[in-house]
Amino acid sequence: MTATPLLETCALTVRAAGRVLVDGLAWRVHAGERWCVIGRNGAGKSLVLRALAGLGVPERSGQVLWQGRPQDDWPAGAAASLRALMPQQAQDRFALTVERVLALSEVAAPAVRPTELLAALDIAALGERRVDQLSGGERQRVALAQCAMQGASLMLLDEPVSFQDPAHQQVVGRWLTQAATPESGDRAWIASAHDPSWIARVATHVLALQGDGRWQAGRVDEILSAPVLERTYGCAWRSVEGAWLPA
Amino acid sequence: MPARDPAVLRLALLALATALVAALALGLGSGGWDWQLIATLRAPRVAAAAGVGSLLALAGLALQVLLRNPLADPYVLGHSTGASVGALAALLLGLQLWIGAASGALVAGLLLLWLARPALAAADDASPKLILLGTMLAAIFGAVSTLMLALVPDQRLRGAIFWMVGDLSGADASLWNLAGAAVFAAWLWARGRSVDRLMLGADAAWLLGEPVRRLRLELLVFASLAVGLAVSTSGSVGFVGLVVAQGWRLAGVLRTRELALLSMLSGAALLMGADLLARIVVAPLELPVGAVMALVGAPCFIWFLARGVK
Repeated sequence: MTATPLLETCALTVRAAGRVLVDGLAWRVHAGERWCVIGRNGAGKSLVLRALAGLGVPERSGQVLWQGRPQDDWPAGAAASLRALMPQQAQDRFALTVERVLALSEVAAPAVRPTELLAALDIAALGERRVDQLSGGERQRVALAQCAMQGASLMLLDEPVSFQDPAHQQVVGRWLTQAATPESGDRAWIASAHDPSWIARVATHVLALQGDGRWQAGRVDEILSAPVLERTYGCAWRSVEGAWLPA
Repeated sequence: MPARDPAVLRLALLALATALVAALALGLGSGGWDWQLIATLRAPRVAAAAGVGSLLALAGLALQVLLRNPLADPYVLGHSTGASVGALAALLLGLQLWIGAASGALVAGLLLLWLARPALAAADDASPKLILLGTMLAAIFGAVSTLMLALVPDQRLRGAIFWMVGDLSGADASLWNLAGAAVFAAWLWARGRSVDRLMLGADAAWLLGEPVRRLRLELLVFASLAVGLAVSTSGSVGFVGLVVAQGWRLAGVLRTRELALLSMLSGAALLMGADLLARIVVAPLELPVGAVMALVGAPCFIWFLARGVK
Protein backbone atom coordinates (compact mmCIF):
# COMPACT_ATOMS: atom_id res chain seq x y z
CA MET A 1 0.00 0.00 0.00
CA THR A 2 1.29 3.43 -0.85
CA ALA A 3 -1.19 5.58 1.08
CA THR A 4 -0.01 7.39 4.21
CA PRO A 5 -0.37 4.95 7.09
CA LEU A 6 -3.04 5.77 9.65
CA LEU A 7 -0.50 5.06 12.33
CA GLU A 8 3.26 4.83 12.24
CA THR A 9 5.75 4.42 15.06
CA CYS A 10 9.40 5.45 14.74
CA ALA A 11 11.76 3.82 17.24
CA LEU A 12 9.05 3.73 19.88
CA THR A 13 10.54 2.45 23.13
CA VAL A 14 8.43 1.85 26.22
CA ARG A 15 9.88 1.13 29.65
CA ALA A 16 8.24 0.40 32.98
CA ALA A 17 9.93 0.09 36.37
CA GLY A 18 13.33 0.26 34.73
CA ARG A 19 12.62 -2.63 32.36
CA VAL A 20 12.53 -2.18 28.58
CA LEU A 21 9.24 -3.71 27.43
CA VAL A 22 9.23 -2.66 23.79
CA ASP A 23 12.42 -1.54 22.09
CA GLY A 24 12.57 0.52 18.91
CA LEU A 25 9.17 -0.38 17.55
CA ALA A 26 9.01 0.58 13.87
CA TRP A 27 5.53 -0.26 12.73
CA ARG A 28 2.89 0.86 10.24
CA VAL A 29 -0.87 0.38 10.39
CA HIS A 30 -2.91 1.16 7.27
CA ALA A 31 -6.63 1.70 6.82
CA GLY A 32 -8.47 -1.57 6.34
CA GLU A 33 -6.11 -3.52 8.61
CA ARG A 34 -7.17 -5.32 11.79
CA TRP A 35 -4.29 -5.79 14.21
CA CYS A 36 -4.10 -7.88 17.33
CA VAL A 37 -1.35 -7.30 19.88
CA ILE A 38 -0.27 -10.41 21.76
CA GLY A 39 2.11 -10.89 24.66
CA ARG A 40 2.33 -12.26 28.17
CA ASN A 41 0.76 -10.45 31.13
CA GLY A 42 2.92 -7.42 31.82
CA ALA A 43 4.58 -7.51 28.38
CA GLY A 44 3.51 -3.90 27.74
CA LYS A 45 0.38 -4.33 25.59
CA SER A 46 -1.67 -1.80 27.54
CA LEU A 47 1.20 0.68 27.78
CA VAL A 48 1.79 0.50 24.02
CA LEU A 49 -1.92 1.12 23.35
CA ARG A 50 -1.88 4.10 25.74
CA ALA A 51 1.22 5.49 24.04
CA LEU A 52 -0.38 5.05 20.61
CA ALA A 53 -3.46 6.92 21.86
CA GLY A 54 -1.30 9.77 23.13
CA LEU A 55 -1.94 9.18 26.83
CA GLY A 56 0.86 9.41 29.36
CA VAL A 57 3.00 6.33 30.01
CA PRO A 58 5.76 6.18 32.65
CA GLU A 59 8.69 6.17 30.25
CA ARG A 60 8.69 6.35 26.50
CA SER A 61 10.85 7.60 23.69
CA GLY A 62 10.51 7.70 19.92
CA GLN A 63 7.67 9.02 17.84
CA VAL A 64 4.11 8.10 17.01
CA LEU A 65 2.68 9.56 13.80
CA TRP A 66 -1.03 9.76 13.06
CA GLN A 67 -1.62 10.10 9.32
CA GLY A 68 2.00 11.15 8.96
CA ARG A 69 1.86 13.90 11.58
CA PRO A 70 3.44 13.59 15.05
CA GLN A 71 0.65 12.96 17.57
CA ASP A 72 1.67 15.94 19.72
CA ASP A 73 0.98 18.27 16.77
CA TRP A 74 -2.69 17.26 16.64
CA PRO A 75 -5.20 19.53 18.34
CA ALA A 76 -7.27 17.58 20.88
CA GLY A 77 -10.47 17.94 18.86
CA ALA A 78 -8.99 16.66 15.60
CA ALA A 79 -7.23 13.84 17.44
CA ALA A 80 -10.59 12.73 18.85
CA SER A 81 -11.96 12.04 15.38
CA LEU A 82 -8.78 10.22 14.39
CA ARG A 83 -8.26 7.75 17.26
CA ALA A 84 -10.35 6.28 20.05
CA LEU A 85 -9.21 4.13 22.96
CA MET A 86 -11.21 1.54 24.82
CA PRO A 87 -9.54 1.07 28.22
CA GLN A 88 -9.23 -2.36 29.80
CA GLN A 89 -11.57 -1.34 32.61
CA ALA A 90 -14.06 1.51 32.62
CA GLN A 91 -14.04 3.60 35.80
CA ASP A 92 -17.63 4.49 36.55
CA ARG A 93 -17.95 6.80 39.54
CA PHE A 94 -21.27 8.38 38.58
CA ALA A 95 -24.61 6.74 37.99
CA LEU A 96 -24.86 7.47 34.25
CA THR A 97 -27.10 5.44 31.97
CA VAL A 98 -25.81 3.49 28.99
CA GLU A 99 -27.74 5.83 26.69
CA ARG A 100 -26.12 8.92 28.23
CA VAL A 101 -22.61 7.48 28.15
CA LEU A 102 -23.01 6.61 24.46
CA ALA A 103 -24.37 10.07 23.65
CA LEU A 104 -21.40 11.70 25.38
CA SER A 105 -19.00 9.60 23.30
CA GLU A 106 -20.11 10.97 19.94
CA VAL A 107 -17.42 13.04 18.22
CA ALA A 108 -17.30 12.34 14.49
CA ALA A 109 -20.00 10.58 12.51
CA PRO A 110 -19.79 6.91 13.49
CA ALA A 111 -19.38 4.34 10.75
CA VAL A 112 -22.70 2.71 11.61
CA ARG A 113 -26.06 3.83 12.87
CA PRO A 114 -26.28 3.66 16.68
CA THR A 115 -29.26 1.28 16.63
CA GLU A 116 -27.42 -1.11 14.31
CA LEU A 117 -24.31 -0.88 16.46
CA LEU A 118 -26.17 -1.68 19.68
CA ALA A 119 -27.98 -4.59 18.05
CA ALA A 120 -24.74 -5.96 16.59
CA LEU A 121 -23.08 -5.88 20.01
CA ASP A 122 -26.17 -7.30 21.77
CA ILE A 123 -26.61 -4.31 24.09
CA ALA A 124 -29.77 -2.84 22.54
CA ALA A 125 -31.81 -3.69 25.65
CA LEU A 126 -29.44 -1.95 28.07
CA GLY A 127 -30.11 1.70 27.14
CA GLU A 128 -31.84 2.70 30.37
CA ARG A 129 -29.54 0.72 32.67
CA ARG A 130 -26.86 2.36 34.82
CA VAL A 131 -23.32 1.63 33.62
CA ASP A 132 -22.13 0.91 37.17
CA GLN A 133 -24.72 -1.85 37.53
CA LEU A 134 -23.88 -3.86 34.41
CA SER A 135 -22.06 -7.18 34.42
CA GLY A 136 -18.40 -7.13 33.41
CA GLY A 137 -19.14 -8.50 29.95
CA GLU A 138 -22.03 -6.10 29.31
CA ARG A 139 -19.96 -3.11 30.48
CA GLN A 140 -17.16 -4.20 28.16
CA ARG A 141 -19.47 -4.32 25.14
CA VAL A 142 -20.86 -0.90 26.08
CA ALA A 143 -17.25 0.38 26.25
CA LEU A 144 -16.67 -1.00 22.77
CA ALA A 145 -19.83 0.76 21.58
CA GLN A 146 -18.60 4.02 23.18
CA CYS A 147 -15.37 3.64 21.26
CA ALA A 148 -17.27 3.03 18.01
CA MET A 149 -19.63 5.96 18.64
CA GLN A 150 -16.63 8.28 18.72
CA GLY A 151 -16.38 7.61 14.98
CA ALA A 152 -12.59 7.67 14.94
CA SER A 153 -10.67 6.15 12.01
CA LEU A 154 -8.44 4.14 14.32
CA MET A 155 -9.84 2.22 17.28
CA LEU A 156 -7.39 1.12 19.97
CA LEU A 157 -8.97 -1.65 22.05
CA ASP A 158 -7.43 -2.93 25.26
CA GLU A 159 -8.67 -6.52 25.60
CA PRO A 160 -12.14 -6.17 24.05
CA VAL A 161 -13.17 -9.78 24.78
CA SER A 162 -11.50 -10.59 28.10
CA PHE A 163 -14.87 -10.67 29.97
CA GLN A 164 -16.98 -12.15 27.15
CA ASP A 165 -18.58 -15.58 27.28
CA PRO A 166 -17.83 -17.81 24.24
CA ALA A 167 -21.00 -16.73 22.40
CA HIS A 168 -20.28 -13.04 22.91
CA GLN A 169 -16.63 -13.50 21.91
CA GLN A 170 -18.11 -14.48 18.54
CA VAL A 171 -20.55 -11.54 18.60
CA VAL A 172 -17.75 -9.06 19.24
CA GLY A 173 -15.45 -10.84 16.79
CA ARG A 174 -18.04 -10.66 13.99
CA TRP A 175 -18.60 -6.96 14.59
CA LEU A 176 -14.88 -6.22 14.70
CA THR A 177 -14.26 -8.17 11.49
CA GLN A 178 -16.58 -5.93 9.51
CA ALA A 179 -15.57 -2.72 11.35
CA ALA A 180 -12.37 -2.42 9.31
CA THR A 181 -12.05 -3.94 5.84
CA PRO A 182 -9.85 -3.05 2.87
CA GLU A 183 -12.97 -2.62 0.71
CA SER A 184 -14.87 -0.27 2.98
CA GLY A 185 -12.21 2.34 3.21
CA ASP A 186 -10.58 4.37 5.87
CA ARG A 187 -10.80 2.55 9.19
CA ALA A 188 -8.51 0.25 11.17
CA TRP A 189 -8.28 -1.14 14.67
CA ILE A 190 -5.63 -2.47 17.02
CA ALA A 191 -6.73 -4.75 19.85
CA SER A 192 -4.83 -6.61 22.53
CA ALA A 193 -6.06 -10.18 22.86
CA HIS A 194 -4.90 -13.56 24.08
CA ASP A 195 -6.69 -16.40 22.29
CA PRO A 196 -4.82 -17.27 19.07
CA SER A 197 -7.86 -19.09 17.63
CA TRP A 198 -10.05 -15.99 18.07
CA ILE A 199 -7.27 -13.81 16.66
CA ALA A 200 -6.90 -16.09 13.63
CA ARG A 201 -10.59 -15.56 12.84
CA VAL A 202 -10.81 -11.76 13.28
CA ALA A 203 -7.38 -10.22 12.64
CA THR A 204 -5.46 -9.54 9.44
CA HIS A 205 -2.18 -8.75 11.20
CA VAL A 206 -0.49 -9.45 14.54
CA LEU A 207 2.09 -7.62 16.63
CA ALA A 208 3.80 -9.99 19.07
CA LEU A 209 5.55 -8.45 22.08
CA GLN A 210 8.12 -10.64 23.85
CA GLY A 211 8.13 -8.44 26.95
CA ASP A 212 11.92 -8.00 26.88
CA GLY A 213 12.02 -5.34 24.17
CA ARG A 214 11.80 -7.71 21.20
CA TRP A 215 8.77 -7.62 18.94
CA GLN A 216 7.57 -9.02 15.68
CA ALA A 217 4.89 -7.62 13.38
CA GLY A 218 3.35 -9.14 10.30
CA ARG A 219 0.39 -10.80 8.62
CA VAL A 220 -1.65 -13.05 10.83
CA ASP A 221 -0.59 -16.26 9.02
CA GLU A 222 3.09 -15.32 9.41
CA ILE A 223 2.99 -14.52 13.13
CA LEU A 224 0.52 -17.14 14.37
CA SER A 225 2.96 -20.01 14.10
CA ALA A 226 4.15 -22.47 16.71
CA PRO A 227 7.64 -20.93 17.06
CA VAL A 228 6.42 -17.32 17.46
CA LEU A 229 3.64 -18.30 19.88
CA GLU A 230 6.11 -20.37 21.89
CA ARG A 231 8.57 -17.47 22.04
CA THR A 232 5.78 -15.08 23.03
CA TYR A 233 4.09 -17.14 25.71
CA GLY A 234 6.87 -19.45 26.84
CA CYS A 235 4.91 -22.66 26.22
CA ALA A 236 4.53 -25.00 23.28
CA TRP A 237 1.53 -24.67 20.90
CA ARG A 238 -0.11 -26.94 18.36
CA SER A 239 -2.74 -26.28 15.74
CA VAL A 240 -5.68 -28.69 15.66
CA GLU A 241 -8.12 -28.21 12.80
CA GLY A 242 -7.57 -24.44 12.73
CA ALA A 243 -7.67 -23.98 16.51
CA TRP A 244 -4.55 -23.19 18.53
CA LEU A 245 -4.04 -25.11 21.76
CA PRO A 246 -1.26 -24.76 24.33
CA ALA A 247 0.45 -28.10 24.59
CA MET B 1 -36.87 22.26 25.00
CA PRO B 2 -40.35 21.00 24.17
CA ALA B 3 -43.05 21.68 26.77
CA ARG B 4 -43.64 17.99 27.46
CA ASP B 5 -40.03 17.62 28.64
CA PRO B 6 -40.12 16.40 32.27
CA ALA B 7 -37.01 18.46 32.95
CA VAL B 8 -38.89 21.69 32.28
CA LEU B 9 -41.76 20.63 34.49
CA ARG B 10 -39.36 19.65 37.26
CA LEU B 11 -37.62 23.01 37.02
CA ALA B 12 -40.90 24.94 37.03
CA LEU B 13 -42.18 23.08 40.08
CA LEU B 14 -38.90 23.63 41.88
CA ALA B 15 -38.96 27.36 41.07
CA LEU B 16 -42.46 27.52 42.51
CA ALA B 17 -41.39 25.67 45.66
CA THR B 18 -38.37 27.94 46.06
CA ALA B 19 -40.58 31.03 45.77
CA LEU B 20 -42.90 29.55 48.39
CA VAL B 21 -40.00 28.92 50.81
CA ALA B 22 -38.79 32.49 50.20
CA ALA B 23 -42.25 33.85 51.00
CA LEU B 24 -42.45 31.80 54.18
CA ALA B 25 -38.94 32.86 55.21
CA LEU B 26 -39.89 36.49 54.67
CA GLY B 27 -43.24 36.25 56.43
CA LEU B 28 -42.52 34.05 59.45
CA GLY B 29 -40.47 34.78 62.55
CA SER B 30 -40.51 36.72 65.75
CA GLY B 31 -42.10 40.11 65.24
CA GLY B 32 -44.74 38.71 62.91
CA TRP B 33 -45.94 40.46 59.75
CA ASP B 34 -44.44 43.91 59.78
CA TRP B 35 -43.37 45.54 56.54
CA GLN B 36 -40.68 47.61 58.20
CA LEU B 37 -39.20 44.51 59.84
CA ILE B 38 -39.44 42.46 56.67
CA ALA B 39 -37.74 45.07 54.52
CA THR B 40 -34.92 45.98 56.88
CA LEU B 41 -34.16 42.74 58.73
CA ARG B 42 -35.64 39.66 57.11
CA ALA B 43 -35.24 40.44 53.41
CA PRO B 44 -31.44 40.93 53.60
CA ARG B 45 -31.09 37.75 55.61
CA VAL B 46 -33.30 35.70 53.28
CA ALA B 47 -31.36 37.02 50.29
CA ALA B 48 -28.11 36.09 51.99
CA ALA B 49 -29.42 32.58 52.72
CA ALA B 50 -30.57 32.14 49.12
CA GLY B 51 -27.25 33.34 47.73
CA VAL B 52 -25.11 31.23 50.05
CA GLY B 53 -27.27 28.15 49.45
CA SER B 54 -27.00 28.50 45.65
CA LEU B 55 -23.25 29.07 45.77
CA LEU B 56 -22.59 26.09 48.04
CA ALA B 57 -24.83 23.76 46.02
CA LEU B 58 -23.05 24.72 42.79
CA ALA B 59 -19.64 24.42 44.47
CA GLY B 60 -20.59 20.92 45.61
CA LEU B 61 -21.66 19.99 42.08
CA ALA B 62 -18.38 21.29 40.62
CA LEU B 63 -16.21 19.56 43.24
CA GLN B 64 -18.03 16.26 42.71
CA VAL B 65 -17.05 16.30 39.04
CA LEU B 66 -13.55 17.68 39.67
CA LEU B 67 -12.73 15.00 42.25
CA ARG B 68 -14.84 12.31 40.54
CA ASN B 69 -16.56 11.65 43.83
CA PRO B 70 -20.33 11.99 44.29
CA LEU B 71 -19.84 12.54 48.04
CA ALA B 72 -17.66 15.64 47.61
CA ASP B 73 -18.78 18.77 49.45
CA PRO B 74 -16.84 21.95 50.23
CA TYR B 75 -17.42 21.53 53.97
CA VAL B 76 -16.58 17.83 54.17
CA LEU B 77 -13.37 18.22 52.14
CA GLY B 78 -11.97 21.27 53.90
CA HIS B 79 -12.61 24.01 51.34
CA SER B 80 -14.94 25.89 53.66
CA THR B 81 -12.63 25.69 56.67
CA GLY B 82 -9.74 26.69 54.40
CA ALA B 83 -11.82 29.69 53.36
CA SER B 84 -12.38 30.51 57.04
CA VAL B 85 -8.62 30.61 57.65
CA GLY B 86 -8.18 32.82 54.58
CA ALA B 87 -10.99 35.13 55.70
CA LEU B 88 -9.57 35.45 59.21
CA ALA B 89 -6.14 36.21 57.81
CA ALA B 90 -7.66 38.85 55.52
CA LEU B 91 -9.48 40.44 58.47
CA LEU B 92 -6.30 40.53 60.55
CA LEU B 93 -4.33 42.04 57.68
CA GLY B 94 -7.09 44.47 56.78
CA LEU B 95 -7.72 42.98 53.32
CA GLN B 96 -10.99 42.29 51.50
CA LEU B 97 -12.80 39.50 53.31
CA TRP B 98 -14.08 37.57 50.29
CA ILE B 99 -10.71 37.67 48.52
CA GLY B 100 -9.08 36.11 51.58
CA ALA B 101 -11.83 33.51 51.81
CA ALA B 102 -11.67 32.59 48.11
CA SER B 103 -7.87 32.30 48.31
CA GLY B 104 -8.18 30.08 51.36
CA ALA B 105 -10.65 27.82 49.53
CA LEU B 106 -8.38 27.71 46.47
CA VAL B 107 -5.33 26.76 48.58
CA ALA B 108 -7.35 24.06 50.34
CA GLY B 109 -8.55 22.74 46.97
CA LEU B 110 -5.08 22.68 45.44
CA LEU B 111 -3.69 21.00 48.55
CA LEU B 112 -6.35 18.30 48.38
CA LEU B 113 -5.76 17.70 44.65
CA TRP B 114 -2.02 17.46 45.27
CA LEU B 115 -2.31 15.13 48.25
CA ALA B 116 -4.90 12.94 46.52
CA ARG B 117 -3.05 12.93 43.19
CA PRO B 118 -1.72 9.36 43.43
CA ALA B 119 -5.15 8.11 44.51
CA LEU B 120 -6.96 10.08 41.79
CA ALA B 121 -4.58 8.83 39.09
CA ALA B 122 -4.70 5.20 40.18
CA ALA B 123 -7.12 2.82 38.54
CA ASP B 124 -8.60 1.75 41.86
CA ASP B 125 -11.42 3.56 43.58
CA ALA B 126 -9.96 6.62 45.29
CA SER B 127 -13.11 7.57 47.21
CA PRO B 128 -12.30 6.54 50.79
CA LYS B 129 -8.81 8.00 50.63
CA LEU B 130 -10.08 11.27 49.18
CA ILE B 131 -12.79 11.71 51.80
CA LEU B 132 -10.34 10.89 54.62
CA LEU B 133 -7.74 13.32 53.27
CA GLY B 134 -10.37 16.04 52.96
CA THR B 135 -11.67 15.41 56.47
CA MET B 136 -8.15 15.72 57.85
CA LEU B 137 -7.55 18.94 55.91
CA ALA B 138 -10.81 20.28 57.34
CA ALA B 139 -9.60 19.37 60.85
CA ILE B 140 -6.27 21.12 60.30
CA PHE B 141 -7.86 24.32 58.93
CA GLY B 142 -10.42 24.21 61.74
CA ALA B 143 -7.61 24.01 64.29
CA VAL B 144 -5.74 26.87 62.61
CA SER B 145 -8.76 29.17 62.67
CA THR B 146 -9.45 28.25 66.32
CA LEU B 147 -5.85 29.12 67.17
CA MET B 148 -6.11 32.39 65.27
CA LEU B 149 -9.25 33.28 67.21
CA ALA B 150 -7.65 32.28 70.52
CA LEU B 151 -4.34 34.02 69.96
CA VAL B 152 -5.68 37.23 68.43
CA PRO B 153 -8.76 38.23 70.39
CA ASP B 154 -10.35 40.87 68.25
CA GLN B 155 -13.93 42.06 68.07
CA ARG B 156 -13.77 42.38 64.26
CA LEU B 157 -13.21 38.64 63.81
CA ARG B 158 -16.65 37.33 64.82
CA GLY B 159 -17.00 34.22 66.96
CA ALA B 160 -15.83 30.65 66.56
CA ILE B 161 -19.38 29.43 65.86
CA PHE B 162 -19.54 31.60 62.73
CA TRP B 163 -16.30 30.19 61.31
CA MET B 164 -16.82 26.57 62.41
CA VAL B 165 -20.47 25.82 61.67
CA GLY B 166 -21.82 28.91 59.94
CA ASP B 167 -24.34 31.50 61.01
CA LEU B 168 -26.57 33.90 59.09
CA SER B 169 -27.58 36.21 61.92
CA GLY B 170 -26.39 39.68 61.06
CA ALA B 171 -25.60 38.75 57.44
CA ASP B 172 -25.38 41.81 55.22
CA ALA B 173 -27.73 42.45 52.37
CA SER B 174 -25.46 41.56 49.49
CA LEU B 175 -26.60 40.68 46.03
CA TRP B 176 -23.07 39.59 45.15
CA ASN B 177 -23.84 36.05 46.27
CA LEU B 178 -26.91 35.72 44.06
CA ALA B 179 -25.09 37.35 41.14
CA GLY B 180 -22.10 35.05 41.67
CA ALA B 181 -24.35 31.99 41.74
CA ALA B 182 -26.03 33.08 38.50
CA VAL B 183 -22.64 33.49 36.77
CA PHE B 184 -21.44 30.12 38.09
CA ALA B 185 -24.62 28.38 36.90
CA ALA B 186 -24.36 30.08 33.50
CA TRP B 187 -20.77 28.85 33.14
CA LEU B 188 -21.79 25.31 34.08
CA TRP B 189 -24.59 25.54 31.51
CA ALA B 190 -22.19 26.75 28.81
CA ARG B 191 -19.69 23.96 29.58
CA GLY B 192 -22.37 21.38 30.33
CA ARG B 193 -21.36 18.77 27.77
CA SER B 194 -17.65 19.06 28.58
CA VAL B 195 -18.32 18.74 32.32
CA ASP B 196 -20.53 15.72 31.60
CA ARG B 197 -17.65 14.12 29.70
CA LEU B 198 -15.31 14.80 32.62
CA MET B 199 -17.57 12.51 34.65
CA LEU B 200 -16.38 9.65 32.39
CA GLY B 201 -12.83 10.22 33.68
CA ALA B 202 -10.00 12.64 32.89
CA ASP B 203 -8.38 10.31 30.33
CA ALA B 204 -11.70 9.51 28.68
CA ALA B 205 -12.61 13.21 28.41
CA TRP B 206 -9.21 14.05 26.96
CA LEU B 207 -9.52 11.26 24.38
CA LEU B 208 -12.86 12.78 23.35
CA GLY B 209 -11.08 16.07 22.65
CA GLU B 210 -11.91 18.00 25.82
CA PRO B 211 -9.38 20.53 27.20
CA VAL B 212 -9.24 18.63 30.49
CA ARG B 213 -6.59 20.68 32.30
CA ARG B 214 -8.31 23.98 31.63
CA LEU B 215 -11.70 22.55 32.48
CA ARG B 216 -10.55 21.18 35.83
CA LEU B 217 -8.78 24.44 36.68
CA GLU B 218 -11.94 26.39 35.87
CA LEU B 219 -14.01 24.06 38.02
CA LEU B 220 -11.63 24.56 40.94
CA VAL B 221 -11.49 28.36 40.53
CA PHE B 222 -15.28 28.71 40.23
CA ALA B 223 -15.84 26.44 43.23
CA SER B 224 -13.26 28.36 45.28
CA LEU B 225 -14.79 31.74 44.41
CA ALA B 226 -18.23 30.42 45.30
CA VAL B 227 -17.05 29.00 48.63
CA GLY B 228 -15.14 32.23 49.33
CA LEU B 229 -18.23 34.38 48.75
CA ALA B 230 -20.41 32.03 50.78
CA VAL B 231 -18.01 31.76 53.73
CA SER B 232 -17.47 35.51 53.95
CA THR B 233 -21.25 35.92 54.24
CA SER B 234 -22.22 33.09 56.54
CA GLY B 235 -19.10 31.29 57.76
CA SER B 236 -18.69 27.61 56.88
CA VAL B 237 -22.16 26.15 56.44
CA GLY B 238 -21.86 22.50 55.51
CA PHE B 239 -23.49 19.74 53.46
CA VAL B 240 -25.55 21.94 51.09
CA GLY B 241 -23.56 20.79 48.07
CA LEU B 242 -23.70 17.18 49.15
CA VAL B 243 -27.43 17.04 49.87
CA VAL B 244 -28.54 19.04 46.85
CA ALA B 245 -26.38 17.87 43.95
CA GLN B 246 -26.16 14.26 45.05
CA GLY B 247 -29.87 14.26 45.86
CA TRP B 248 -30.72 15.23 42.28
CA ARG B 249 -28.27 12.66 40.94
CA LEU B 250 -30.01 9.96 42.95
CA ALA B 251 -33.32 11.21 41.58
CA GLY B 252 -31.99 10.39 38.12
CA VAL B 253 -30.84 13.78 36.82
CA LEU B 254 -27.68 13.11 34.84
CA ARG B 255 -26.93 16.23 32.83
CA THR B 256 -24.73 18.98 34.27
CA ARG B 257 -26.89 21.66 32.65
CA GLU B 258 -30.01 20.51 34.38
CA LEU B 259 -28.13 19.75 37.60
CA ALA B 260 -26.76 23.31 37.69
CA LEU B 261 -30.19 24.95 37.44
CA LEU B 262 -31.80 22.55 39.88
CA SER B 263 -28.91 22.84 42.36
CA MET B 264 -28.97 26.62 42.28
CA LEU B 265 -32.69 26.75 43.07
CA SER B 266 -32.81 23.96 45.61
CA GLY B 267 -29.64 25.15 47.35
CA ALA B 268 -31.35 28.50 47.84
CA ALA B 269 -34.56 26.88 49.05
CA LEU B 270 -32.72 24.51 51.39
CA LEU B 271 -30.73 27.22 53.15
CA MET B 272 -33.67 29.65 53.34
CA GLY B 273 -35.66 26.81 54.91
CA ALA B 274 -32.87 25.84 57.30
CA ASP B 275 -32.45 29.45 58.35
CA LEU B 276 -36.19 29.79 58.88
CA LEU B 277 -36.06 26.77 61.20
CA ALA B 278 -33.02 28.24 62.95
CA ARG B 279 -34.99 31.44 63.61
CA ILE B 280 -38.35 30.02 64.72
CA VAL B 281 -37.76 26.67 66.47
CA VAL B 282 -36.61 28.16 69.77
CA ALA B 283 -37.74 31.76 69.13
CA PRO B 284 -36.92 34.32 70.34
CA LEU B 285 -33.56 32.59 70.58
CA GLU B 286 -31.75 31.78 67.32
CA LEU B 287 -29.76 28.72 66.34
CA PRO B 288 -26.75 28.94 64.02
CA VAL B 289 -28.00 27.87 60.57
CA GLY B 290 -24.91 25.69 60.12
CA ALA B 291 -25.95 23.51 63.05
CA VAL B 292 -29.37 22.97 61.47
CA MET B 293 -27.73 22.11 58.11
CA ALA B 294 -25.35 19.65 59.78
CA LEU B 295 -28.30 17.95 61.48
CA VAL B 296 -29.87 17.49 58.04
CA GLY B 297 -26.71 16.94 56.02
CA ALA B 298 -24.65 14.51 58.09
CA PRO B 299 -27.45 11.89 58.22
CA CYS B 300 -27.82 12.30 54.43
CA PHE B 301 -24.09 11.61 54.02
CA ILE B 302 -24.48 8.45 56.11
CA TRP B 303 -27.55 7.43 54.10
CA PHE B 304 -25.72 7.95 50.80
CA LEU B 305 -22.84 5.83 52.12
CA ALA B 306 -25.24 3.08 53.20
CA ARG B 307 -26.86 3.14 49.76
CA GLY B 308 -23.49 2.45 48.22
CA VAL B 309 -22.81 5.90 46.77
CA LYS B 310 -19.04 6.22 46.88
